[in-house]
Amino acid sequence: MEKTTVVVIGGGATGLGILRDLSMRGVKAMLLEKNDLVNGASSRYHGLLHSGGRYAVKDQEAAKECIIENQIMRKIGKSCVEPCGGMFTRLDIDDETYEEAWVKGCADSGIEATPITLDEAFRLEPRLSRKHVKSAYLVPDAAVDGFRMAWQLIDSSKRYGGELKTYTEVVGFDSVNGELRGMKVRNQFTGEEYEIACDIAVNAAGGWAGFVGKLAGVEIGVQPDKGTLIAFNQRIVNHVVNRLHKSSDGDIFVPHGSITILGTSSMSVPDPEDTSTSREEVESLIKIGEQTFEDLRDFRILRTFAGSRPLYIPPGGAVGRSASRGFAIVDHEQDGLKGFFTIVGGKFTTYRLMAEKMCNQICAKLGNKTPCRTAEEPLVEEVPQADKDRAKKFFPSYGTNLAATRLGVDRFKKVVERLENDPESRELICECENVTRAEVEEICKDDTSFIVNDVRRRTRIGMGTCQGNFCALRAAAIFADMGVESTAKDSLTRMKEFLQGRWKGIRPVLLGRTLRETEMTRSIYELSMNLKGGAPQ
Amino acid sequence: MKTTDLIVIGGGLAGFMAAAVAASRKQKVTVLTYGSGSLPLASGAIDIFNAKSPEIAIKNLPAHHPYKKIGSKNIDAAAKFLLDITAQANLPYVGKLSALLPIVTAVGTLKYSALVPESMDASKLVDKKKIFVASIKGLKDFYSPMIVDNLKKYFPNKSFEVAKLDLNLLGGRDITCMDAAQLLTDNEQPLANELKALNATADDAIIIPPIFGVMGNFSRSAVQMQIKAEIIETTCLPPSPPGIRLQRAFIKYLQNSGVRVFENTKVIRGVTDGQKVTGVVVENAVREKVFHARKVILASGGFYSGGITMRDFDNPIEPIFNLPVFFTTGAENWSNQQLFSDKPQGFSMTGIITNDNLNPVDKNGSVLFENLHVVGANLGGCDKIFERSAGGIAISSAYKAATI
Repeated sequence: MEKTTVVVIGGGATGLGILRDLSMRGVKAMLLEKNDLVNGASSRYHGLLHSGGRYAVKDQEAAKECIIENQIMRKIGKSCVEPCGGMFTRLDIDDETYEEAWVKGCADSGIEATPITLDEAFRLEPRLSRKHVKSAYLVPDAAVDGFRMAWQLIDSSKRYGGELKTYTEVVGFDSVNGELRGMKVRNQFTGEEYEIACDIAVNAAGGWAGFVGKLAGVEIGVQPDKGTLIAFNQRIVNHVVNRLHKSSDGDIFVPHGSITILGTSSMSVPDPEDTSTSREEVESLIKIGEQTFEDLRDFRILRTFAGSRPLYIPPGGAVGRSASRGFAIVDHEQDGLKGFFTIVGGKFTTYRLMAEKMCNQICAKLGNKTPCRTAEEPLVEEVPQADKDRAKKFFPSYGTNLAATRLGVDRFKKVVERLENDPESRELICECENVTRAEVEEICKDDTSFIVNDVRRRTRIGMGTCQGNFCALRAAAIFADMGVESTAKDSLTRMKEFLQGRWKGIRPVLLGRTLRETEMTRSIYELSMNLKGGAPQ
Repeated sequence: MKTTDLIVIGGGLAGFMAAAVAASRKQKVTVLTYGSGSLPLASGAIDIFNAKSPEIAIKNLPAHHPYKKIGSKNIDAAAKFLLDITAQANLPYVGKLSALLPIVTAVGTLKYSALVPESMDASKLVDKKKIFVASIKGLKDFYSPMIVDNLKKYFPNKSFEVAKLDLNLLGGRDITCMDAAQLLTDNEQPLANELKALNATADDAIIIPPIFGVMGNFSRSAVQMQIKAEIIETTCLPPSPPGIRLQRAFIKYLQNSGVRVFENTKVIRGVTDGQKVTGVVVENAVREKVFHARKVILASGGFYSGGITMRDFDNPIEPIFNLPVFFTTGAENWSNQQLFSDKPQGFSMTGIITNDNLNPVDKNGSVLFENLHVVGANLGGCDKIFERSAGGIAISSAYKAATI
């Protein structure tokens, strides 16, 4: 039977942070995730690294945590953060007294909020509504890439001996006399079930924490709260642009590379798996977004997506927007199960702090006195300039830097070697996101790539303008050649699954130029490729 | 004021077909095109309908279906016309409306189509013993191992071999099938030499990406005469040489028939007089210009080509004549949960509704313009991709509109 000291359940930012923290303190740890990494709220969100400004009025403690963690993240996760800065804008319809409270809240929380003139605001963000915007402030918000951070957390954990199993679901716990001994898990592809022994298990399953708790026989107050977001095909904003009012739907715009994400809504849902989005949700987000950017409708929407925030609901607590964005740690020894912990709530920006507090408790139990070092040591080393220079001979410098930060030192070096030795590996698999065949091949071989969508999340193929029209065929073919035997060979299923994944986000925004792209997708894959297979009846 | 017999708006398959048919009947024709239609995107084969016998399936369609308005006589005549003019252009097509022919796709499935470029006709695979699947060094988008894996499922008893040909394409930028086809035009010998080296016999077939030039069948003939095995082209990701060969065959035919083709000419509105269209207004770099005609065929395409646009939900627009556009109502009916669905996609049924003469009609079925005919992808009421009827509807509606 496999054995470890601590099993972390859930491959979101919190779970990954805990795996890294424990591994760095020398605790043997293994992370189990029933899907691919960051499949929940850690990637289905804005990608906003909060300055804390959003919480400056409602929750000073959260605001303070945010600004501290924001600065730490910029230091340790340099290549995951786009330091674009943030702007808060109050519109004519927003409450003026809130602005006063907000300015004071920022000052009290240690968030630098610099008032700027409207002329300056329109210079920095030319698309802002000149009719509605009445005041503006700059804050140290930033954009952060949840996918990239997840892979870097894993790379860092593995360096210290941390283990990872994706597509591995916990299906039951094993305890003796109220003391946890281990768990039974199931491989999602093969259906194989087996046991893993451990001393401690941490339930960091986010929106799924209630289900995991139920398996262990403990009750956990977590309410999945669905937020819907829209990805636009352009960089509409240069900064993170927030509405300066009481937090509400559709009031944050975050620029990411060449796109912009607008969000979000807040809706209690029974099932964290519910990531459906509707035309109505999109329409309501755009209606609100239009107040800040009047010409919003003229920008092409790439897709829409949704994720579930795991809101912690203490007995008798509030739900929805009024629920706390704070987090809670529960030691279930109080419920009669020794060695089982739950960490729930919180937000992406403060994942590291949450992990630190969780690990402090675990280490106290284990008698491990090693201090936490996650705030000091960078997640990954910087890719040497010499390797980048070698790569620049084969692909554009814009692509070089992106690939370097995506891949990290070791994989980047291997990719550069591939590019040098095999001229055919230099072709672009994804022209939209500048991804070479060498990089796709490298990631296809990785032990966390089981389907083409896994390769997509790590390389960004299919995430750009054409939403997979060209790279679906290429990626599935390369994956069939290089990927794991059990799933890769079925190239037609992998291709369909990849395009279907894109389709899910396109359906609610199927209008304008997106219709055109969709007819192209169907024309290629239904007509020219007969991907559905089968002969006429 | 010069008035021509016919103005065709649109240079896709439907527009070119309408112009060619009208010109063959000694009409004076002007074609106004903007963009390049969807032929460069298409497989090059003409799908008529996804059924063992398209002929029979079409007879059983409901009355509102475009094919029913077009009528089987025109479908037959259109197919015959296409086979004739492609043969004249040395781009021979094979096939008929009573049964479909297989084509090997770039993912290794078989696709079935009614009218197929001879170079893609995979029915010849049936009596072959061994099938070579040959990719080209440095050519993107053609992955022999995947094609073999998937093709084996159709032909479990044949032997397969993956081959790689070197045409010296490697070293520069990425090479697509279109690039290779262009490089190969009038320069076929390197390909013939590489194919010869496979030592394939008359019992074998060699499957290659569609790179046999961009004009007719000349490149293929030059190579095939040196090789004993049958060489068969697949479909490919766009831009697609077989689609472009068909496009060029049409352009040549139109040129030889005295049809005036204005490229990069965007028609912005119609000039009408009661129930008659008297001309169209085009926008060019400096000023607007009016073209006059006794008859106008609207072949501006569907969503893909911009013949129909939709900025806001439930409000599709035909931008030239502002014709009423039929569409599927209700968010839940607009699209199916699955992209590759077992039923038609609602959004894809969007289009203009016509009478039996292909004149656009309003909600009550009254004709809006009696000398305006709507053809091809902007005809509404069916999902042409789901039915695999896009090509057939394009050529047959064009044939009818041109001969009315």
